[in-house]
Amino acid sequence: MKQTYQERLHDLWGDMRRDWQLYLLLAPMAIWFALFLYKPMYGLVIAFQDFSIFRGIEKSPWVGFANFVELFQNDMFIRAFWNTITISGLGLIFAFPVPIILALMFNEVQNEVARRWAQTIVYLPHFISVVIVAGIVINFLSPSIGIVNLFLKSLGLESIYFLTQPEWFRPIFIGSSVWKESGFESIVYLAAIAGVSPTLYESARVDGASRWQMMWRITLPCILPTIVIMLIIRIGNLVEVGFEYIILLYRPSTYESADVVSTFIYRTGLQGTQYDLATAAGLFNAVIAFVLVYSANRISRRVSSTSLW
Amino acid sequence: MRTLRKGAPLLALMTAMTMALPASAQDASKISEDPLELTIHFHFRDKYVYSEKWPVEQKAAEITNIHVRNVASLATTSSRDAFNLLIASGDLPDIVGGDANGGLKEDFIRYGLEGAFIPLDDLIEENAPHLKAFFDSHKDIRNAISGPDGKLYFIPYVPDGKYSRGWFIRQDWLDKLGLKQPETPEEVYEVLKAFRDKDPNGNGKKDEVPYFAREEIDAVRLINLWDARVSGSERYGDFALYDGQLRHPWAEENYKTGISNVAKWYKEGLIDKEIFTRGARSREYLLGNNLGGMTHDWFASTSTYNDALSPKIEGFALKPMLPPKTASGQRFEDSRRLRVQPVGWAISATNEHPVETIKYFDFWFSQQGRLLSNFGVEGKTYEMVDGKPQFKKEVLDNKDPVNAQLWAVGAQVPRGYWMDYEYERQWTNKIALDGIDLYDKCNCLKDEFMGVSLNAEEKATFDRYWPSLLTYMTEMQQTWILGAQDVNTGWDAYKKRLTALGYDEVIKMMQSAYDRQYKAAQ
Repeated sequence: MKQTYQERLHDLWGDMRRDWQLYLLLAPMAIWFALFLYKPMYGLVIAFQDFSIFRGIEKSPWVGFANFVELFQNDMFIRAFWNTITISGLGLIFAFPVPIILALMFNEVQNEVARRWAQTIVYLPHFISVVIVAGIVINFLSPSIGIVNLFLKSLGLESIYFLTQPEWFRPIFIGSSVWKESGFESIVYLAAIAGVSPTLYESARVDGASRWQMMWRITLPCILPTIVIMLIIRIGNLVEVGFEYIILLYRPSTYESADVVSTFIYRTGLQGTQYDLATAAGLFNAVIAFVLVYSANRISRRVSSTSLW
Repeated sequence: MRTLRKGAPLLALMTAMTMALPASAQDASKISEDPLELTIHFHFRDKYVYSEKWPVEQKAAEITNIHVRNVASLATTSSRDAFNLLIASGDLPDIVGGDANGGLKEDFIRYGLEGAFIPLDDLIEENAPHLKAFFDSHKDIRNAISGPDGKLYFIPYVPDGKYSRGWFIRQDWLDKLGLKQPETPEEVYEVLKAFRDKDPNGNGKKDEVPYFAREEIDAVRLINLWDARVSGSERYGDFALYDGQLRHPWAEENYKTGISNVAKWYKEGLIDKEIFTRGARSREYLLGNNLGGMTHDWFASTSTYNDALSPKIEGFALKPMLPPKTASGQRFEDSRRLRVQPVGWAISATNEHPVETIKYFDFWFSQQGRLLSNFGVEGKTYEMVDGKPQFKKEVLDNKDPVNAQLWAVGAQVPRGYWMDYEYERQWTNKIALDGIDLYDKCNCLKDEFMGVSLNAEEKATFDRYWPSLLTYMTEMQQTWILGAQDVNTGWDAYKKRLTALGYDEVIKMMQSAYDRQYKAAQ
């Protein structure tokens, strides 16, 4: 049954009159979105301008796609783009499963006190500022006084100046991010596990299933929708790598593997005040992210019938 | 000018006071008959704003009858953000000034060309005798801060004194090991090796760090020993002048030799292993723990470690020494104090009193204004002794550094003013002054590249090529020094890559901009 546009609008108006309290509750969030996420989108037009903050958006001259052309002619940008994809891709492979495994492990801990302790300990790093985490990492990996190198030396190995070697950057970055965030990310999965109906486990136990079988056959399939949603979100962020942490850890000698789009934007856009170019880079990123999320969502809907929308 | 509200009673009082004074003493520098209020946006060092309450500013207002009211918000913790927000708002006060990360010179010129600030040349010519005299006798400074159209858009903070950094060595270690100050690259090598091997700190451990540096720019300073330069100015990785030709020091043949030797020294442990990661705390840590042997750093601050550490470390003596002779037998010091800072103040296009404003700017370049902006208020922070300003004893002996005390009263803040080195000399440690003397006699500074103002076309070329070039050069510099690649085998590929990234275009463009700015005007 197809409704016309007018009929739909009429229905919506009827809904709003009837459930106005609910719409009122929705209003603050809707206004917030409009003001802080939709209105700033207007600023994206500077990606197509030769922008000057003094002239403003209205008076800056239009240059079409010149900023994008400049971006793609810049092989530092191309390198930064591939580095972003690589770091996020590796993160997806190595870091994404960790919170799931953690959550499953917590779920299996029998002793309540031990479980609480373990959970708190793995959450804690999330609340430490990245600046401090970077400081800890730098100190741990210091070639003269770092604990890692002291250990290597005690084994009779050469000490390694980790943070200046491009090949070490990604393992260090992803490893320390896992340490910092996976505990906190496991909360979502723990909540999903808590939502699994106990009757399933009871009947499995009656059928004589082992804990291992219960985990594989009950827990995992039940939290799969959550995993898929988290995965789609993560794929959407594939072209985003948090730049604060990278800036704190990278050096010119590791740019080769560490320079990502956001740090490129930071260096050329903010330090070099080329706002138009930086916006073009950001817009390009957002378009890629949108395509990725959209396709991930399509695939997921077709394969597992779970989707974000 | 805005209407007077809050300040009005105070102003009335001040006017009454100035009128009571003998007219002759005042009239000469009074700019306006009636008190005139000008608004200013002036945010600096990321946390201060201009203040009409500063004793220095009150004194200036009393003399000139110009009352400057700040409109910059203290709530911002970034002077750069404060400036950018002001420009983006489009609503400019009468005067815009201060400093910001990266300097404001390019901003003043860029937005001046776009119509935010007015060119000052005619105003100076007609109304500002002190500024005119200053620029007439400092043509290079005038050239350095002009826009691509040859016009002045701001009045800069002009530092005084020639020397910034120099070489420092642990003289007590040298004495202990029976060595003398190194004079050639070979001798530096021997001294650093002795520091590494002969346990000069006497703790029985081989933990000495022979050469260390606090800032990136000094981390590679040892390449000077092979005639290579780190930078043509105090800015890391800047272009440099080679007999009037502008090139980048990191594309020169002697840079290859320098890097190759520094990489060798790094490998042998003569240079701090963590030189690129230790950062700002390295000087304090390595000297404080009796580990560091030689460095290149600021004269004044580095010398103070002698006072701070001699009670703790017996015989501690960190002495400035002349730059060692280079491989080709010359002697030169790579760094020097900037002759003009890229900060200061400018007049907005909306200012209704440009003549009074330029006269006010001019006041700070007069004898009276210079004393005020350098030393503070007479009788409060300094006194005249034999016709020369002398800081009071309580200022010199105060536990706060003299410059911090002066900032608090509104002196030595980055308005357009001309610094007097005497201010700094009076509270500089004797060891540093001796070092500066030594360097002064050597007379071995290189020409400073004072920067160029690019027109729109040149700026486009610069923006297209330069960020990538600089990134690539910095990256390779560290890669070579840390030993991940060998400069001797990689040099040709490096030069080819520079060409591919647009090095020749940038240099050609920079040279033509430089010629326009510095040669045409002469």
